[in-house]
Amino acid sequence: MKTAHALLILLLAAAWPAAAADWVVVANPKAGITRLSQDEVTNIYLGRYRRLASGATAEPIDQPADSALKARFYRQLVDKNLAEINAYWSRLVFSGKTRPPRIAGSNEDALQIVLLHPDALAYVDKARVDSRFVVVFEIAE
Amino acid sequence: MNAKPARFAASAYNSFLLLGCLAVLGLPVHAGAAAADAAEPTPESNLSLSGFGTLGIARSSSDQVEFVRDLSQPKGISDHWSGLIDTLFGVQTNWRATPTVELVGQVVSRYHYDGSHNPEVMWAFAKWDPDARLSLRAGRIGADFMMLADSRLVGYSYLPVRPPSDFFGPLFFSHFDGADASVTLPLGDGLVRGKLFGGATHEKATGAPGVWDTSGSPVAGLVLDYQAGPWLLRANTASIKFSNDIKFAPLPDTLRSVGATFGYPSAIAAADALTTRNTTTRFYSVGAVYDDGPLQVQGMLNSIHHETEVFQNSRAGYVLAGYRLGPVTPFAGVSWWRSKFKPNTTGLPDVAPFAALNQAFDQIMVASTADQNTYTLGARWDFRQNMALKVQWDAVRGTSASRFPFAHSEAGWNGHTDVLSLCLDFIF
Repeated sequence: MKTAHALLILLLAAAWPAAAADWVVVANPKAGITRLSQDEVTNIYLGRYRRLASGATAEPIDQPADSALKARFYRQLVDKNLAEINAYWSRLVFSGKTRPPRIAGSNEDALQIVLLHPDALAYVDKARVDSRFVVVFEIAE
Repeated sequence: MNAKPARFAASAYNSFLLLGCLAVLGLPVHAGAAAADAAEPTPESNLSLSGFGTLGIARSSSDQVEFVRDLSQPKGISDHWSGLIDTLFGVQTNWRATPTVELVGQVVSRYHYDGSHNPEVMWAFAKWDPDARLSLRAGRIGADFMMLADSRLVGYSYLPVRPPSDFFGPLFFSHFDGADASVTLPLGDGLVRGKLFGGATHEKATGAPGVWDTSGSPVAGLVLDYQAGPWLLRANTASIKFSNDIKFAPLPDTLRSVGATFGYPSAIAAADALTTRNTTTRFYSVGAVYDDGPLQVQGMLNSIHHETEVFQNSRAGYVLAGYRLGPVTPFAGVSWWRSKFKPNTTGLPDVAPFAALNQAFDQIMVASTADQNTYTLGARWDFRQNMALKVQWDAVRGTSASRFPFAHSEAGWNGHTDVLSLCLDFIF
């Protein structure tokens, strides 16, 4: 029993990211969004509801499949690992429902897309954000 | 015997699947890898090709019954390993014609009603999302008869090897030609979604009397969802009005002429009871999913009401729970299915030459009897990106009368069988 308990802790520890949130969700200032709640970010990224307050349809931008930032984002936003996120999207994609987020090649790519598309939202490395962007969501520690 | 060509087809199919898998393993697709210049945003492709599949084998402990996944399968698995019931392969292409219009086509090869693995067009529709709240689809679309019914072939998307057969077994419809409209609106802290659908099926089922063509049967349905935090609640209703009779010939005509000749109106009524044409079957279901971090629990209940006397009305349900431990998610579940006998008889005396008619009629009346529970234990291991291995044990514990949805159950079967399943699910 003790071994099983230790194993459980070990598995959980291995699965849990040690780092605090080092990412923020940014928008284009033209979108007119100042703040999104965690539920709103979740609904946009999981394709449940993408309508912004302006009436426009939000266009979420994802990081590459093998990015560590992507894994941290979904872990901290909804406590899911990437296999679970992929399984979730396989259900929606192969039943012909919502489209998954557009995938950017890198942080720079994601920021570039946000600059070019006023309805785009991206989670990016906090350190890369400058005054051309509005931080609309930052996870509470 | 036609077993040989079927086996040949199955082995050719398996080689095809193997090739498909090797292609998947050898050519991982990285959407972002093409970006040569980091300053330029990755161009968004409007055309995508993706797919899913399962390589699955299963065996049971009984040689007196063949375990099937659902009623679309003419044969099932018994006491030796077989890849028949779970192995499948699907490809899908999405073309985003404009920012709000998308065309989707999906082809699936799986073991189905005619014993073949011939590819089948599952979806072929145009989707128009004029606004984030409204989505309209027209063409060949998924039959959303119960929660998760339109993704039940995508093994990678769920925890167990297959959705509970007690619950989804009677659903041999996957798609219909028609349209649906869904509206999503915020309500309180959550989202409410309503969906209406309608059209006509063109699918075939299989059973002891042979293939049953239900092409042209009108279907209609309504779905209501409420999602808030970790909860998703859903209520569903759907109906189908069958366009064709099941081929019980020559039994109905014989009953009619015997009834008329010997003065037994009950035999004529019995012949009428074998009608499925223009009868409506209604499906009702409610479900709840609780999905919070590592824990996911889902439960559903259904009730199926058939106007025809051929099928017994039934109620079924299941509860399935899983808990993620790193890359492995063990799960456990229980499902049940109960049907209610419809007391029809021919009214003919049970002596020669009528006894044979009585026996044939009575067999049909009990052919859809379901009276069983299934206990499930298993684990899913996400061992690499876009692939999962699963192992599952199902203990079917029914009464000796229970024979739905199994294929070829023998008279002496006690209603118990244990099914062990292994599978590899993948997407690409």
